[in-house]
Amino acid sequence: MSEHNQQVQPQKNKPMQNERAADAPLRIGVYICRCGGNISDVVDVDRVAETVKLLPDVVTAKVHTFACSDPGQQTITNDILEQNLDRVVVASCTPFLHEQTFRGAVSRGGLNPYLYEHVNIREQASWAHKHDPEGATIKAIRMIAAAVGKLHHVEPLEQIKLPNHRRALVVGGGIAGMKAASELAGRGIKVLLVESSQRLGGQLNDRGRVYPTERDAKELVEELARRVRTHSNIEILMQSNVTAVSGFIGNFKVAIRTEAAGIPVTETTVGAIIMATGFRPYVPQDGEFLYRTEPGVVTMPEFLQLLRSTPDAARKLTWNGRVIRNIAFLHCVGSRQLDGVHEPPPNGRLNTYCSRTCCTTILQQALEVRHRFPSVGVFDFYRDIRTYGRGEENYYSAASRAGVTFFRYNGEEPPRVELTPRARAKEGVLSVTLNDTLTWGTELSVPVDMVVLGTGMMPGEIADLIEQMKLATGEDGFLQEVHPKLRPVEVSVNGILLAGTAQGPMNIQETLAAAGAAAVKAAAMFAREDVELNPYVAEVDLSRCCGEALCVTQCDYEGALQMVSMEVEGATVERAQVNAGLCVGCGACVAVCPNRAIDVNGWRLDQFEAMVDGIAAAIPGQECTPELVNIH
Amino acid sequence: MNTQINSDYVPDVLVIGGGIAGLQSALDLADQDLRVLVVERNSSIGGRMIGLSKVFPTLDCASCITTPKMSAAAHHPNIQILTNTEVQAMETRNGIHSVRLLQKPTYVNFDKCIGCRLCEYACDTEYPDPFEEGLGSVRAIAVPFTNAIPQKAVLDAEHCATCGVCARVCPTDAIEFDQQPRTLTIHTDSVIVASGFNLNAVTVKPQYNAARSSNIIPPTMMERLLAPHGPYGRVLRPSDGKIPSSVAFVQCAGSRDESIGVPYCSRVCCMYAIKQAMLLSGALPLADITIYYMDIRAFGKGYEQFFQNARAMGINFVRGKVARVDPIEDGDLRLHVETTDDAENPLQEHRHDLVVLAQGMIPAWNPAATTPVACASDGFVATPSLTDPTATSAPGIFVAGAAAGPKDIVDTIAEAGAAAMQVSRYLHEKRAAVLVGQAVHG
Ligand SMILES: Cc1cc2nc3c(=O)[nH]c(=O)nc-3n(C[C@H](O)[C@H](O)[C@H](O)COP(=O)(O)OP(=O)(O)OC[C@H]3O[C@@H](n4cnc5c(N)ncnc54)[C@H](O)[C@@H]3O)c2cc1C
Ligand SMILES: Cc1cc2nc3c(=O)[nH]c(=O)nc-3n(C[C@H](O)[C@H](O)[C@H](O)COP(=O)(O)OP(=O)(O)OC[C@H]3O[C@@H](n4cnc5c(N)ncnc54)[C@H](O)[C@@H]3O)c2cc1C
Repeated sequence: MSEHNQQVQPQKNKPMQNERAADAPLRIGVYICRCGGNISDVVDVDRVAETVKLLPDVVTAKVHTFACSDPGQQTITNDILEQNLDRVVVASCTPFLHEQTFRGAVSRGGLNPYLYEHVNIREQASWAHKHDPEGATIKAIRMIAAAVGKLHHVEPLEQIKLPNHRRALVVGGGIAGMKAASELAGRGIKVLLVESSQRLGGQLNDRGRVYPTERDAKELVEELARRVRTHSNIEILMQSNVTAVSGFIGNFKVAIRTEAAGIPVTETTVGAIIMATGFRPYVPQDGEFLYRTEPGVVTMPEFLQLLRSTPDAARKLTWNGRVIRNIAFLHCVGSRQLDGVHEPPPNGRLNTYCSRTCCTTILQQALEVRHRFPSVGVFDFYRDIRTYGRGEENYYSAASRAGVTFFRYNGEEPPRVELTPRARAKEGVLSVTLNDTLTWGTELSVPVDMVVLGTGMMPGEIADLIEQMKLATGEDGFLQEVHPKLRPVEVSVNGILLAGTAQGPMNIQETLAAAGAAAVKAAAMFAREDVELNPYVAEVDLSRCCGEALCVTQCDYEGALQMVSMEVEGATVERAQVNAGLCVGCGACVAVCPNRAIDVNGWRLDQFEAMVDGIAAAIPGQECTPELVNIH
Repeated sequence: MNTQINSDYVPDVLVIGGGIAGLQSALDLADQDLRVLVVERNSSIGGRMIGLSKVFPTLDCASCITTPKMSAAAHHPNIQILTNTEVQAMETRNGIHSVRLLQKPTYVNFDKCIGCRLCEYACDTEYPDPFEEGLGSVRAIAVPFTNAIPQKAVLDAEHCATCGVCARVCPTDAIEFDQQPRTLTIHTDSVIVASGFNLNAVTVKPQYNAARSSNIIPPTMMERLLAPHGPYGRVLRPSDGKIPSSVAFVQCAGSRDESIGVPYCSRVCCMYAIKQAMLLSGALPLADITIYYMDIRAFGKGYEQFFQNARAMGINFVRGKVARVDPIEDGDLRLHVETTDDAENPLQEHRHDLVVLAQGMIPAWNPAATTPVACASDGFVATPSLTDPTATSAPGIFVAGAAAGPKDIVDTIAEAGAAAMQVSRYLHEKRAAVLVGQAVHG
């Protein structure tokens, strides 16, 4: 097993193409994308192409409607081969979308993919200066000039290869965690599953029959639990918590503490971590809709518990010794909250999102009440009925047919739950009052015995893990993916994946699908012997380092930079050393080194200088005026 | 990418449909070193998504997200793609699926075609461009659209005038007028059905009178009007090229209605209507935009915020049922609306100059007719397993994306990954069992 702080340095291999004579001029190709119109509607791309053609060593400059499309990429590949290009610039959208795409095209032309510069003239020129086409066009030219300048100072780089531990840690033993674990195990990958509670199954434990299958959640939980318990590739740690995480993709060191007495902290190495820590049900604030003030006001989980504990044979529904004759269900409690309408919770953050599962759960329960206790009146107070999923709309139509009465309120005017005035109290001690938009805003007051709050989902309480793993959360507090379509289960830390409701509200089917999607990313990662990382990491020039360690003090990433002893001319000295797996290439070390002894590969100081020179240099037909420089 | 494939090619997985679901599954499988064959009946991969303008909830341009996946699949050493090829039938024996494919003639030899488009430029015959929803026109022989994959010309026999000019200008002699349909059977261990969705007809509700006005349009046409590289490069209404000043979106125009056989919710229409409304208000700052809806179903991550932003932008949301749409003078439309928003005036009439009908999503293909895969009562592929949401009724055959019910791109991509995971687990377990069997018997 390789040590987590072992040294891996980027290899600087020979370029893939024959080296040309050192003094021969470069041959740079520049490709400018119209992005359908996203760029060319503002930036005069033809003028950009004509102008940048005049830059030193640019041998071709072409415009394409979609540079990222296959023909666009093909043009680049062909030009490399036919025109012997040795450097390429693409000016298009954000590198976040397409830098990899174009590196691929460059590689297919036989060129080292790091002899490539990506310029973002969509977000940074056409979109930022939509109302200033002239300025945007000049800015695009200058940005390309900077890239061309930089390309005069780049060398081929190779991806960093790190050993890969073919074993995944799954945090959380709800259905998401169990699903991800069993899929990976079935694929031949070892899994360590860590669950903090005493039971597998998460929030679905004791849920009873679930929509839309109307099967007992127990069947699902037990089937998945059986799979994870019986699979020889899976090791389970119950009542356990991950207490420390360090390292990087392919090589995470984790420490796990198990509650039970006498068990030592487990320390182990895994290649990937799947976060399946789930959600927390929303708990209303004291007094919110009279919750905890009036016993007749309950949350959905409490109501589910009540129905479950009421024997099938029972003819009446009773709660707190009282027979329930009328029930109100309130949608969107703790979800879809609006600024200025809802009281923010102590943490100050409103739950502005939709919890996705409450509408159908409410309708399912409303139906269940009507079927089991036909004499009980059921009233449903909603904003929008969101039975969007497969088989869910049926609950809505069935509820209407089964005599559930619907009232609709505007988000700005949530219904009020109050004690019923004495005169009508025998119809129900509580009443729900609203301006019912189904009857043109008429104010109605409905007396009931019980109010069920359709409480939604809240992010889990995992602040410590978020801190340990440097995870991002969205405005909603749930774990945040990199991009909902391009990298929907990945986070900005490589090797950490998201599964299920830890990422946001989902129903069972969506949770299982998300868990599968997370598992498949881990499976693909484990299909390789090594993990490969971008070579943009710091490198120490030992001939200049004098061991002052300013860089180490400045470094924010534990273990990325440290002082080591080495022999220099017979004396033992301290020198800085980079751990390529942990370095993120932020450059904080570069800024503090008094001797210019540390630099970031691919973003070296001389390269930045060349970019600045490129921006400011005179371009034929392009005066470099002060206001021009101001654009930046 | 290889367009010449024969029956002796045995992929680990055959993926039916080259939409975003099929492509994502293929990539997730190929990255595990499994060999994948993607079969697509259209002349380009990319599915519905490649025709969209920008996509909710991030408003990225659809091409910018789809093209890299299309391109990654096309260049992946483990992926083969057959376009213009339809899956017709499938049977399973001893765990091996034999999939019958129909390769439609393109009248162009793909091995020779270099995508230079000289034929397209020379061709004199034009017909309404299906990619542009009929708004622009396309030559009878053409590369399907700018970012199509593969970049090969395809001849449309229905519209070809057989003048032969394409054959004369083709520098590589790729035109083959005598091509015949070819059937081909591929044997494989596993299959993913990713055949996606269609929209029901705009005319499905006669009371909306779509047949009587070209200004009552499908939402897919609005996508093309809004696309930066769309047919007109701007939003103009079809009948007379006027810049619309008052646009209506009629929601649930082909869904949530038992009488038309689509009782279910199509799941994406609320969000794409809101998206189109936002894009329209950017393109036409002076236009009035109204969305007539029953319930706004903005349920996904970030979607509610998207909806609230649209309200803040001044888009009109009117809750009510559109009872009828009548074409009136000047190409305009009168909507008869029963609304619960206005007590004084519950039955309203509103005049608009362009109307978008949110049609319902229906399956694009019915595998139950010719394969072991069962469909549910809604017509989409049935997924009977409690624990494996992408497993179909047939072992070794899985499903992803809109083929298993209406779905947006985010949910489609998650499901595609899940299906790929199930396939790789299935193959791993199946092959391990074979090895064990061999060890026992040998
Ligand atoms: C009231 C209600 C009713 C619902 N009914 C339905 C329904 O009928 N049909 C349907 O499709 N969906 C329904 N849902 C949604 C369903 O509950 C979720 O889709 C599902 O539970 C999500 O599973 P999960 O594994 O993502 O999360 P969870 O079920 O929350 O599981 C997470 C697991 O992780 C563990 N964990 C958390 N933090 C840590 C940590 N730091 N270390 C280790 N372990 C940790 C937890 O103990 C738990 O076991 C309902 C939701 C609610 C709120
Ligand atoms: C107007 C409109 C706007 C939308 N906007 C958005 C948006 O902004 N954001 C968002 O997230 N979602 C949006 N969507 C939804 C999005 O289009 C779908 O989520 C997505 O296209 C589903 O992808 P798919 O691969 O499952 O299906 P498809 O895109 O339908 O792909 C299926 C593919 O399979 C092929 N095929 C079918 N049958 C066969 C067969 N027998 N043999 C071979 N090939 C076959 C088809 O030709 C097709 O290429 C929108 C939908 C519409 C209608």
